[in-house]
Amino acid sequence: MQVPFFEIQGVSKYFAKVIANKDISFSIQKGEVLALLGENGAGKSTIMKILYGLYRADEGKILMDGKEVKITCPKDAMKLGISMIQQHFSLVPAHTVTENIILGNVKGRIDHKKCHEDMKKLADTYGFDVPVDAKVSELDVGVQQKVEILKALYLNARLLIMDEPTAVLTPQESETLMQFVKSYTEKGNSVVFITHKLKEVMEVADRIIVMRNGRVSGNLKKEDTNETELSRLMIGKDLVQPEKDSGPMGDKAKVCLKVEGLTIEKKGEAPLLRDISFNIREGEIFGIAGVSGNGQEELCEAITGSLKPTAGHISLNGEDITGLTVRERIGKGIGYVPVDRHRDGMVMPMTVAENMMLKESFGSKWANHGFIDKKKLNACTQKAIEDYQIKAPGPDARAGGLSGGNQQKVILAREVSVGSELLILNQPTRGLDLGAINNIHTVVLEERKAGKSILLVSTELSEIFEMCDRIAVMYKGSFMGIYRSEELNTEKIGLLMAGYAQEKEAAGNE
Amino acid sequence: MNDKDKLKDLIITNFLAIAAGLILSGLMLMLLHINPFTVFGDALHTMFTDKYTMGDVLLKATPLIFTALAFAFTFKANLFNIGAQGQFYMGAIVAIAASLKMDGVVPTPVLLLIVVVLTFVAGGLIGALIGFLKARYNANEFLVSMMSTYVVQALMNYLLRTFLLETKGEYPQTDAISREAWIPTLIPGTRLHWGFVLAVLVAVGVWILLYKTTLGYRIRAVGSNASASEKSGIKSKKVFVIAFFISGALAGMAGFTEINGVQHMLIQDFNTSIGSSGLGIAILANANPIGIIFASILFGALGVIGNLMGRMPGLNIPSSIVDLMQGFVMIFVIVSYFLRAWMANRREKRRLQKVVEK
Amino acid sequence: MVVSLLARALMMSTPLLLGSISEVIAERSGMMVTAIEGIFLMGAWGGFVGAYLTGSSFAGILLAMVCGLLMAGVYGFITIHLRQHQVVTGTALNILAAGLCTYLQRVLFGVPVSPLKISPLPKLAIPLLGDIPVIGEIFFRQNILTYLVYLIIPLSYFLLFKTSIGLTIRSTGENPEAVDVAGISVNKVRFLTVLAAGIMGGLAGAFYSVGYLGMFTSGMIGGRGWIAFAICFLGNWNPKGAVIGTLAFGFTEALAIYMQTVGGGSYFPNELFIALPYILTIVLTVARRNFNVPAQLGTPYSKEN
Repeated sequence: MQVPFFEIQGVSKYFAKVIANKDISFSIQKGEVLALLGENGAGKSTIMKILYGLYRADEGKILMDGKEVKITCPKDAMKLGISMIQQHFSLVPAHTVTENIILGNVKGRIDHKKCHEDMKKLADTYGFDVPVDAKVSELDVGVQQKVEILKALYLNARLLIMDEPTAVLTPQESETLMQFVKSYTEKGNSVVFITHKLKEVMEVADRIIVMRNGRVSGNLKKEDTNETELSRLMIGKDLVQPEKDSGPMGDKAKVCLKVEGLTIEKKGEAPLLRDISFNIREGEIFGIAGVSGNGQEELCEAITGSLKPTAGHISLNGEDITGLTVRERIGKGIGYVPVDRHRDGMVMPMTVAENMMLKESFGSKWANHGFIDKKKLNACTQKAIEDYQIKAPGPDARAGGLSGGNQQKVILAREVSVGSELLILNQPTRGLDLGAINNIHTVVLEERKAGKSILLVSTELSEIFEMCDRIAVMYKGSFMGIYRSEELNTEKIGLLMAGYAQEKEAAGNE
Repeated sequence: MNDKDKLKDLIITNFLAIAAGLILSGLMLMLLHINPFTVFGDALHTMFTDKYTMGDVLLKATPLIFTALAFAFTFKANLFNIGAQGQFYMGAIVAIAASLKMDGVVPTPVLLLIVVVLTFVAGGLIGALIGFLKARYNANEFLVSMMSTYVVQALMNYLLRTFLLETKGEYPQTDAISREAWIPTLIPGTRLHWGFVLAVLVAVGVWILLYKTTLGYRIRAVGSNASASEKSGIKSKKVFVIAFFISGALAGMAGFTEINGVQHMLIQDFNTSIGSSGLGIAILANANPIGIIFASILFGALGVIGNLMGRMPGLNIPSSIVDLMQGFVMIFVIVSYFLRAWMANRREKRRLQKVVEK
Repeated sequence: MVVSLLARALMMSTPLLLGSISEVIAERSGMMVTAIEGIFLMGAWGGFVGAYLTGSSFAGILLAMVCGLLMAGVYGFITIHLRQHQVVTGTALNILAAGLCTYLQRVLFGVPVSPLKISPLPKLAIPLLGDIPVIGEIFFRQNILTYLVYLIIPLSYFLLFKTSIGLTIRSTGENPEAVDVAGISVNKVRFLTVLAAGIMGGLAGAFYSVGYLGMFTSGMIGGRGWIAFAICFLGNWNPKGAVIGTLAFGFTEALAIYMQTVGGGSYFPNELFIALPYILTIVLTVARRNFNVPAQLGTPYSKEN
């Protein structure tokens, strides 16, 4: 066997609260696509950030072509030909594509014109359609990713590390990316592909490193393994999928939420929402698929009341709620699990109990004459901790100290209790491990059984297909159509997500 | 790490920070060829043995409790009211104007009650204005509150040489109010007045408001995460204005205790560092209202020690030693925040490493 | 009359412009220099001491820059490397600076019978340019610090927007992670910009003692550091904006002094003019809303989180 391009030997990394990596060893060969598979928090990104010099290892060493190298900062890594594309792109949104690419790679006075031309040439060489003088904030995420790749190519990277690169892409965009990866490695370069998606691994990787709890739990060739084995190595046990029945009442159930012609439009800008109409019956899960950023969040917030629509109506159980405030809608029984729990869902420095009362701090549910009823609040929180199997020391534990999955369970517990009629879930399982996802799916299906109406936004197609009774696909603020889940498959939904209307729909829509 | 450990860490590191600040100030004294040990020793001895001086420590702490609470209150809402000085001046203007008007007209308890309410409202309105500009126009509250102090100060100077000018018309200051309008003395033989008790009660009240009521809950929630609060039906802008009103009102009350309790008249350049000391105290106490009481007493003590030193015959120690001591203590307290986090971090990492090795 | 008023306005603008440009540079990298008031004060003190002890204004200016640098160094160390709160740290340092310069003044000079004086920087008329009527009188009969500012305006603009250093500084304020990933140390960039701001701020402080009044008092800065801080906001984090903002303030300040000297107080109270720059700041803060505030202004950067 040839000397590996890069070799990681016995690397450990401790963070303040967790062991991120423990005794990690593996190698990266020239010309191969290496997949780094594992759940969120398994330590995949950390080990790669160490290789790229963003973090410093507490123990262990790194070899290149069989010789030990010291990588203490990204500059060192770049000199060795390593580039890394972070999961959340590290681009400066207010600057142009060119400025982003040359950042840190030019000296002295900048000749903007010449730089633009160089970048254009670079983009053309690789067949990337990127407007080099546009501001990054004006670009779609797919294009932003190309900018990140261009940054690496500009530095003549020979090892490209990509952290969850397909998370923000449509199936078709992912396909293009895979083709790039193949042609890039054919030239003798190497790619490390960090992901938690099994399907992707089987599609693109030559070799697979599986990580669990900061350690390597498997190092396999693609030919020698299958999805079941990988899943077991990744999770450490077999998971039982929650069962979904046919639903309590089906088409005859009463309509709970009715949305008619909902539009949000600022003058001179593309509409955030365009003429959205649908309804959700009791005991129904209505799914919204689409690449994130196509109006899903705006739709959720228009229904919860924090965004005002410019046209259209929303009614709940026959009552028009379009003019009601957020607080009034909470009172009507609308629960909402937002996509970004750090920003919109929780107050991290507060306790779990305090977070449980966030939606209902007015009124007498948790208070006597303005004074908080601590006893009642703690008792209810304790019950939620038990019912939802939340791993927390107690009601007075700081919410920010819980793991992501447990934080999400706290929010879900609160919203299930608030949302007696309608539950809106915006990517409720994003970034969680499979165990927590399983838990949350079970709860959602139970609520469906109890007759609640559920709006589920997700970018994970598997989740959409598994959970939903009906599916709408969103693209640039519009519905591309509403389908029963049996009517769609991955390819069809992928086209809809990219904005290609189905032929049978096209006539009706245009 | 549990809360008790944290409190222990907090007290130990704060104690060390204060010690470091005093040592450095002591070194500065040596620049004047003064032996810091004897000077500090003498000052401390006087402070602890003389009832009058001890009373002065609490007397000086009184307005600081108010201005520190003022900063801490908006700090809890993740906002910056660094205009406590101006709100204090506003309170002082209103206190002297109202007291002079009512002096001898209404009985003392009524007068004091009216004045305390007026100062509360006066400071509160300045605060609310800042909060309103923040909420309505998204103005930078840090800048606006900073600038408001200078504007109020100019207003005060103007009033001092016009409407509020003393009868003699000699200096830019007001007439003194009569004993009828004074806050009664708390301990005979000292200058300490009931305003100190008021300050302590208000501190406890602020603690209850912040941690035991739903209003306080909402203020803290908006402060830590305005977006999540907004999505939970809490109007963050309204909370901004309320928080700023209360904050300004607290600072305004310092005007009441200083005018009716200590100075009994308003003079130019009156207590110029009350606002910034309050900020330092709030930081020292980690913005905890109860901690603020103790931190204010410490700052009061530093002020008294400085004064005692200044009065020591033949030494000529400048009064700016007070600023120096307070400044150094604050710097070391800030550094101790880092040290605490760093120590906790390292402890946790070691513990993890041990767990793994077993 | 008007000409001398404008010349005076320009002169009074010098330190504000220096201060606000120093703040622009630091804030573009994400650092609010809230110790600016203290930096001004230490600069004013250092300038006076240097000039008084050596008899050379140049030595004073040099010492002022060193004082500013030291203050900024402490500020940067605590806020960047120890990751402590910028507003809080700045306030503490401002209090300390007030105590320190008064105290050291006493240590050095005791209690002088009459105030200590140095000769302020002379006005230098630039040959030819200084002879142009009106324009020359306003712009080219100033002291050396004002001329220095003429150079700093275009230089700072060029640095920020036309060079790689500027690109790095601006990127650091917008998205420090991008800079980190590009292999540049975020903390280093921020520390250096703060140090640069300290030097410029010290120079601005020296203007008041060495350049203008020829003496030192502990109250001589009186919030002008904060005005420079405010101008940075109002000037939209751009040296060009800072120029416009500063001229407005310099003008109100000169007007205030002028009104006081000609006895305008009979119509309007002097205090109104004194308060005018502060009121103007509040009004502009409210009126100006299309801010292009650096996205990560005031946030400490820590990658292992």
